[in-house]
Amino acid sequence: MVVIMQEQQEAVEFHDLPEGCIENVLSFTTPRDVARLSLVSSTFRSAAQSDSVWDKFLPSDYRSIISQCDEEIDNSLYVLSKKDLYVNLTQKPILIDDGKKSFQLDKVDGKKCYMLSARSLFIVWGDTPRYWKWISVPDSRFSQVAELVSVCWFEIRGWINTSMLSPNTLYGVYLVFKASTSRTYGFEYQPCEASILIAGGGGDPVVERNVFLDAERGRRLRYQIVPRRRTGIFSRYLEPPPPPQVEQTESVDDLQKYPKERTDGWLEMELGEYFNEGGDDKEVEISVCEVKGGGWKGGLVLQGIEIKPKPKSC
Amino acid sequence: MAQEASSSTSSKTISLKTGDGEIFEIEASAAKQMKTVQRLIDDLGDDITIPLHNVFSKELPKIIEYYKKDITGEITKDFEAEFVKDLNDDEVKVLFLAANYLDANKLFEFLSQNIADRLESKSVEYVRKYFGVENDFTPEEESKLREERAWSFRGIKEDE
Repeated sequence: MVVIMQEQQEAVEFHDLPEGCIENVLSFTTPRDVARLSLVSSTFRSAAQSDSVWDKFLPSDYRSIISQCDEEIDNSLYVLSKKDLYVNLTQKPILIDDGKKSFQLDKVDGKKCYMLSARSLFIVWGDTPRYWKWISVPDSRFSQVAELVSVCWFEIRGWINTSMLSPNTLYGVYLVFKASTSRTYGFEYQPCEASILIAGGGGDPVVERNVFLDAERGRRLRYQIVPRRRTGIFSRYLEPPPPPQVEQTESVDDLQKYPKERTDGWLEMELGEYFNEGGDDKEVEISVCEVKGGGWKGGLVLQGIEIKPKPKSC
Repeated sequence: MAQEASSSTSSKTISLKTGDGEIFEIEASAAKQMKTVQRLIDDLGDDITIPLHNVFSKELPKIIEYYKKDITGEITKDFEAEFVKDLNDDEVKVLFLAANYLDANKLFEFLSQNIADRLESKSVEYVRKYFGVENDFTPEEESKLREERAWSFRGIKEDE
């Protein structure tokens, strides 16, 4: 269609493109593309560092979010270049809202992630030490975590406003916990009911599912180790092991009902998911309960509830 | 040249002369959207044919077409998709450079997005060829950068 003639080409040589133009194009790509394309040339590397590019990748309300941080952190964040700020926020969560929540950006595409601390949740019997204890552990991002000593009535609720979430994003909601030093019990056979609903919506829950807060069972299912056909410990050494097979009543789909191990040493149980369109102001209510079985349960340490984008492979 | 007293901007047209000597008409309100043109009008007056040395007859009509739509408020996602649909990479580049030269912000932003889309997940070598830039890193610098940014190369076909 259009042919660029020789004499024209001379006047519009692309490599004379000002750095500002390169910055503008880069700002419409992704953090990953920007990182990679800094290898194109030294001009690209320089453009790839510019604040105007990374400002676009940060969420539009990042200033007001980080201003909720405690003062020392807040000031240090303002000193960083936008690129360093972005990278920082993807690597390490910051505490906001008086230490009640943590905030972070998702590594892949910079979407907003939050963890609601156990202190900010509604935990039935949470203030009664014989049922729940509040302790500090070094590997928690929050100053306190809740240790479940023993309850019959297990009920935890949390809330987050959709205006805090990134638009057009499918979020997963996860209970973040681990086994306490005493054994976890009461969760292996009795599932908990997890639900995600819009508070005051009056309608049906967005998601409702049964989950087992039992890491051991999940681990066995994940590695497809079968309960031995023969009893007796010696059978393991005398005969070849039976071929691995999934337990009769469960399938690989049921993996969704068990906790997964996180890279930070905690476990996460997916309670459900929520697609945030954006542009609205609704309270999402998250709950996980076991109040029907009547059995005693205990031996968990609860860090909080995390709301983060679901990985794309799901 | 005789001039109409107090002519309204909306009906006035401006003459633009391309680097290869062709003349095109554009409405004054559309010309206003191109800051370089507006500056030239401010300096030279709106009766004179405005010379645009770095824009040529191949691309100016397309730019005028865009801004004609813009002043009537009719730019939609569909129009923009249609606008770039049949353009090859070189044509988009030429328009992009022209939009930059003319300081035509809206078109410039739109074409930035379009070029970014065309470069998505492309290799470093592809982008170098596209922009016509030389690799000015030493082998040591390049391998150090590659190492630091190894994560960003996963899933990219490097010889594209």
